[in-house]
Amino acid sequence: MGLARAGFFLSLLLLWQLLSLRGLPAYVLSPLEIIRHFGEALGSAELYEHAWASLGRSLPGFAIGTFFGALLGLAAGMARWFDRLFSPAVFVTYPVPKIVMLPIFMLWFGIGDLSKVLIIALACFYPVFINAYYGVKATPAILVWSALNMGAGHGAIFRRVVLPSAAPMIFAGMRVSLALSFIVMFAAEMINARSGLGHLIRVAENSLRFDLMYVSLLAVAILGFAGDRLVRFAQRRLLAWQEQPA
Amino acid sequence: MTKLYKVLPFLLFLTALLIWEAAARSGLWSKLLFPSLGSIAYEFGMFLVTPERLHEAWVSLYRALGGFALAAVVGIFVGMLMGRSKLVAGLLDPLFSGTYAVPKLALFPIFIFLFGIGSLSKVALVFLECLYPIVIMSYHGARSVNRVLLWSAQNMGASRGATLRRVVIPASAPFIFAGFRVAVPVAMIVVVITEMVSSADGLGYLVIYSLSSLRTDRMLAVVVAIALLGYLLDKAVVLARDRLIYWEKLDTYYV
Repeated sequence: MGLARAGFFLSLLLLWQLLSLRGLPAYVLSPLEIIRHFGEALGSAELYEHAWASLGRSLPGFAIGTFFGALLGLAAGMARWFDRLFSPAVFVTYPVPKIVMLPIFMLWFGIGDLSKVLIIALACFYPVFINAYYGVKATPAILVWSALNMGAGHGAIFRRVVLPSAAPMIFAGMRVSLALSFIVMFAAEMINARSGLGHLIRVAENSLRFDLMYVSLLAVAILGFAGDRLVRFAQRRLLAWQEQPA
Repeated sequence: MTKLYKVLPFLLFLTALLIWEAAARSGLWSKLLFPSLGSIAYEFGMFLVTPERLHEAWVSLYRALGGFALAAVVGIFVGMLMGRSKLVAGLLDPLFSGTYAVPKLALFPIFIFLFGIGSLSKVALVFLECLYPIVIMSYHGARSVNRVLLWSAQNMGASRGATLRRVVIPASAPFIFAGFRVAVPVAMIVVVITEMVSSADGLGYLVIYSLSSLRTDRMLAVVVAIALLGYLLDKAVVLARDRLIYWEKLDTYYV
């Protein structure tokens, strides 16, 4: 299977490369050209600066959104009055594209990084909130009963029963949030920024620098992929006692 | 106490509106930052009766639904194929799970060169972003079909096509709809973003245009329209699911 898989991908790349020999339009580079340009970009400081600026927006946004999502989601799952007060607002606004708030945030918080970090945080809040909420709701009642029976207090039940039981769901929400944070970061930078990978791809587009376009595309892809692997790694380490989903 | 529980969901909403109106009337901030609720409501009413603006909404809707419909057809087909064939799953699964966290939005500039700055590049990007959740959930659904059901269908002489139509697809339908549920908001997000980045029509363009002409009230009215559209599309998916998969009642909001 592994061999067939490797062969499949290699033949796809080979086909792409062979097609470029026959002549592709200027905006489609061959795999070898992309790798060459990416290697060159890795040698210069420009790519790192833009990648760093992008991470400086997406990671704080992700951290803030995830933190409040988990906190309020757990609270809504546990306290009925808070559930009634807060959850309907979240569920009603969940299918709304949060990026439309960016222009308003730009008016309120300026066109700098703050408005972008906050819009990313807002987008990241939702998946984690909803997953934490249902994670708490899905805690088997029998576990809570036995803990109560054995004399556990409220704090102990939360720490030792509810939180571990909701943790896999929270991590699933974090994976969705991380992917979202990169999308929103990229969108915000394409709409309005002076640095970052989204800005770089706009510059490349406007000056017809196709090599630069593919370099920033590849850089975003690598960051997204690496971030996803990191969350999965953290989940495996922290929740080693749990059955891992395939 | 029970009365209080009934009004609690509206409490937050009302407080938010009150704070907004207070901020608008306090005079501490410019009308540009906090336009009053009245002016936003007026602009929203204008939005509903102005044919040109309704046309922008229609343009956005048709891009979102076009890309979504394409992704649904292709996604279910690919997902079923992956679920029923080990070979296809082995080849495609790493492709989908490996690029899942990569923002496909980054391909947009290249799509503009490939498909032009009109609707096609936007529909193509919506298609690509929606494809992922639908393929992954259909694959998941097709894999988790109860084996006993498949055996009995084969035992009773069902052909492969009949098995697929009568057993596999109905059994994975709840999963497919869960994928739709993820994909519909994604379609709206992508349409609005692409229209904000590069477009001369659609709701996303209207947001940017109103902002550039410093009509914050108009911009917020468009934001309300986008929010409403996203909400209604989601409700439509839920309604369709409850009608089509009547045998499986889901009481959770989120699957």
